[in-house]
Amino acid sequence: MRFIGLRLARGLLTLWFAVTVTFFLVRLLPGDPVLAVADPNMTEELRQKLLADFGLDKPLAAQYLDYLGQLVQGNLGMSFRQSIPVTTVLMERLPWTLILTISAMVVTIALGIPLGVLAATRAKGWLDRVIQLTGVTAQSLFVPSVGILLMYVLGVWLGWFPIGGAVDLDATGLGATLSMLHHLVLPCLSLVFIQLGGYVLTMRTTLIEALGEDYVSLAKAKGVRRGKVVWKHALRNALLPTTTIAGLQLGTLVGGAVLTETIYAYPGIGRAIYEAVGQLDFPVLQGAFVLLAAAVVAANLITDVAYGILDPRVRTS
Amino acid sequence: MRRAVLLTALAVALTACAPSVPGSSGSSGSPGAQAPASADRLTIGTTADVVNYNPLVGNSRTDSWVTDLMYPKLTQMDATGKRIPYLATEWSYSEDGKTATAKLRDDMKWSDGKPVTASDVVFSVTAVQKEKFGVVAGLITALDEAEAVSPTEVRFKLSRPDGTFLDNVGFWLPVVPEDVFSKAPSVQKFANDKDWVSAGPFKLTKVERGQRYIMDRVDDFGPGKPTVKQVVFRVFPDVNTEVLALRNGEIDMIGNVLPPATATELKSDTAVKLQEIPSLGWAHLQYNTKRKPLDDVRVRQALAHAVDYEAIRNIALKGFAKSSNSSVLTPSLPQWTDQASKEYAFDPEQSKKLLAEAGQTNLRLGMIYDQADPNIARWAPMVRDAAKKAGITIELQGLERNTYLDKTTKRDFDIYAGSWAVMDNPPANLGLAFKSGGFINYAQVEDPKLDDLIDQAQRALTQEEAKPPIQEAARMIHDQVYDNVLYVETFNVAHSAKWTGFQPMPSELLSILNPLSLAAAKPAG
Amino acid sequence: MTAAAVELTPRRRTWSSFRRNPLGVASGLLLLLLALVAICAPLIAPFPEGYGADTSQPPSSAHWFGTDDIGQDVFAQVVWGTRVSMAVGVSASVLAIVIGLLIGVCAAYFRRLDTPLGVLVDLSLSLPVLPLMILVAALAGPSVRTLAVVIALFSWPEVARVVRSQALAIVPMPFVSAAKVVGGSSLWIVRKHLLPGVVPVVGVSVVLTTSRAVLSEAGLSFLGLGDPNSWSWGTILHKAQQSGALASAWWTTLFPSLAILLLVLSTTLLSVAYNDARNHRSDT
Repeated sequence: MRFIGLRLARGLLTLWFAVTVTFFLVRLLPGDPVLAVADPNMTEELRQKLLADFGLDKPLAAQYLDYLGQLVQGNLGMSFRQSIPVTTVLMERLPWTLILTISAMVVTIALGIPLGVLAATRAKGWLDRVIQLTGVTAQSLFVPSVGILLMYVLGVWLGWFPIGGAVDLDATGLGATLSMLHHLVLPCLSLVFIQLGGYVLTMRTTLIEALGEDYVSLAKAKGVRRGKVVWKHALRNALLPTTTIAGLQLGTLVGGAVLTETIYAYPGIGRAIYEAVGQLDFPVLQGAFVLLAAAVVAANLITDVAYGILDPRVRTS
Repeated sequence: MRRAVLLTALAVALTACAPSVPGSSGSSGSPGAQAPASADRLTIGTTADVVNYNPLVGNSRTDSWVTDLMYPKLTQMDATGKRIPYLATEWSYSEDGKTATAKLRDDMKWSDGKPVTASDVVFSVTAVQKEKFGVVAGLITALDEAEAVSPTEVRFKLSRPDGTFLDNVGFWLPVVPEDVFSKAPSVQKFANDKDWVSAGPFKLTKVERGQRYIMDRVDDFGPGKPTVKQVVFRVFPDVNTEVLALRNGEIDMIGNVLPPATATELKSDTAVKLQEIPSLGWAHLQYNTKRKPLDDVRVRQALAHAVDYEAIRNIALKGFAKSSNSSVLTPSLPQWTDQASKEYAFDPEQSKKLLAEAGQTNLRLGMIYDQADPNIARWAPMVRDAAKKAGITIELQGLERNTYLDKTTKRDFDIYAGSWAVMDNPPANLGLAFKSGGFINYAQVEDPKLDDLIDQAQRALTQEEAKPPIQEAARMIHDQVYDNVLYVETFNVAHSAKWTGFQPMPSELLSILNPLSLAAAKPAG
Repeated sequence: MTAAAVELTPRRRTWSSFRRNPLGVASGLLLLLLALVAICAPLIAPFPEGYGADTSQPPSSAHWFGTDDIGQDVFAQVVWGTRVSMAVGVSASVLAIVIGLLIGVCAAYFRRLDTPLGVLVDLSLSLPVLPLMILVAALAGPSVRTLAVVIALFSWPEVARVVRSQALAIVPMPFVSAAKVVGGSSLWIVRKHLLPGVVPVVGVSVVLTTSRAVLSEAGLSFLGLGDPNSWSWGTILHKAQQSGALASAWWTTLFPSLAILLLVLSTTLLSVAYNDARNHRSDT
């Protein structure tokens, strides 16, 4: 329990750091947020008024303290551009990003683990090579290129999948769910491509090592069936780095989601961030970063705890 | 196990597809295309979300497209830039030019059932005047006070004669419902993000942010019931995907202007129709007249002779651009143009001669531009390469948009490459762009004679009266190279061949998605 | 003396094992070829600039990879792009690995540093990378050097974290404690026991980091944050996207994409092969 408490404290510390770093980074951005909101032709008087409205006329330190104070109360502020609360802006986008990233993660793990085991148990065989090559190739693809290719071939040419968007306008009930899945396939596939290679490779490397470990040999010597050895002993061992990667991947996943969501016109948070950078909408940008940082911190926390359960050595140290 | 192999095989097959991207030119009728269009729905692709639903504030393209369908303006514009009636039926100035009046049509209604009246117009213009925001504020500085003489007549009292006032207000000011907007403590901060009360041909009924904006027809729209039942704006990341979606039959029209190369390529596609829309603005280079040696007119002229205008228009713009004869009075507004104006010739030798006269050797200048503007990113290197022939080194500074805007407003550049989108009224616009201290006077021109001429043109109450001084001003701008106009773009807008009846109007703001055009659009055949 | 002799044998064994892996050898050769192209770019094709009359031409004998919409040769662009893309990828990766290795090992070995370093790593990992890169690239202005540093700055934590978790498993091992008891210096223990222990994992990290650096460079350039005065593969794609030619003038998209794929693929395969060869236990 103390272990979890410590991790929690550390997570909060991390979060605070993240908030601070992004707060100042965002405000260092070149350009004038007021310019991005109003017509560049505005008068100096109006400029000052807008700055005051946005709270940008105060010294940076005061702005920072204000922001922290509001944040503690769960208030992310108002969007400069849209004049509505940042929470509203983000909550509209969050479900889509969750659907996209979680489905991509599930598919990746579901494919990655068996492929990794398969490759490791047949190390250096032709199947191993094919799996490696596929995984590595998929991971080496450049998201926008693949996006256009998939949309062109599977969308325009074959007409199997829609171009962009998240759900059809007229779909309701079950139809809406199906339409959602239909729209999800291509962006999800792109994200799986990026990650799968990493999973399979890490899985394979650690598993090969584990297969050589003494206790596996011992188990073999005791006459346990080979399949059982692989799956029970080795797999449990190999789950460690995979969990690490899974925690890590959340960060990259979100990064990948920016590009993916942008290419496929998927209405998630990643695209909202990209747009907010262009519009210098500090509160939205800041809010999105806080949200994502919180998600990653939470994921890391879970990973760490899972680590502790999987490998007692970590907990005791 | 077998399944894993199968999956792997599938993945390999998928990646193996990569090298065989098909060349697509001329591949019309895609498999995704469906039956003829019905009048039920017209879907338009756009590349951005609506950022602000308050028409008095919003200034992105998509914002304007959507809110223009909801909130009427006093006037529209015909293909030559002349004002034509919309909410206002007629408008005029008093003899002394210090009073302007507009008569309104009486058959327009807000969606809550109340009529659109003169007091709504007064409220809208007064809000902008008081809170000073948006494009309009800078254009109505002559306004003293607006009043509703009757429900269908508005009177504007002006502090000085201003012949540009009605054009400006008519074209730029969206009329909003007083009942709704006056409840907000600050009109400027009013988000207007739900329960919309509007009076245009379509009303916004549903928003799925990041995805689409759904607008339904208003049956009793004064100027006539729209043919199409529903207009949907769908959000895409860029024009590449929009083209795919248009070919796939998922959208009926691309709102954004097509890049020239795409337009050339889509020309051969029979399923797609292109509409040519003249631009009301122009692309140009501006030289910072407050920086040495650019304060010397000979240096500016040398630079003007070191641009290969023809090549830029033919190669970067693929011929979708007209010469403006180096004049700020462009062919898009034929009633103003000066036939005598001549384009600076691309003549590196002449440049060298002028530079020698000015005592300049090894001239090195930086040129800022917005890296995200596809056309300018295309021709900026061409400007650099042509200048090299005249012995001038131009360093390209392709900037991220906000940095570029920042440097522009701070006038922190040697050469500025950019374009002005809508310059619909020369006396008003040249005032903003070239009068001392003007908002968009990027070149920092300070020329008392030019100021006089522009003032004279602004005071004139008729176009005939304003024309001579404004042409004189344009000649000065040409000779002094206060602005180096490169071209006036011919925009290409694509829609599915299944639709017809659009009414194109100049500028990408109006294009074929102006309210009157969308109200008139109908399925072909 | 004897230590050196013992070290040589596994190294030789690694090499002979590596040579037997056709994928690894092929990737190595491919990388060498790409590096050669990068170095000899001026000899292969003139720097792409200016404009030509043959615009948007598909590949032909005159223009192997076709031309773009202002008539520049795409082959020349890809050749010169190899330079920038490789330079950014390699320098960012080297920088990231050095930082990551240093911090990861320190965190695992010096227990007192573990928490602060862990927080630092967590922090860097909790920030969404690409959006932040967009921010920093916008902040620092577009240049090749900025790109390399920005990418390295956001890539090291992954290396550090993987290294740490591997090293953590080694530190409590009996031989490490024994070395401590005997009085081995920290540096010696780190060099002798920790580094060899983490190298297999770093091998995989090298892979992921280099490939990610190249991909990140392409991503940033694609989003318009690249260096407008030089050519990278991402820049070519960015220009293709701007001209709306991604799907129609397929040659402007395909060849730079293929180049990215080949470089990332060969780096990855090379280090996987190296990893396998080094992992002697799997030889048996």
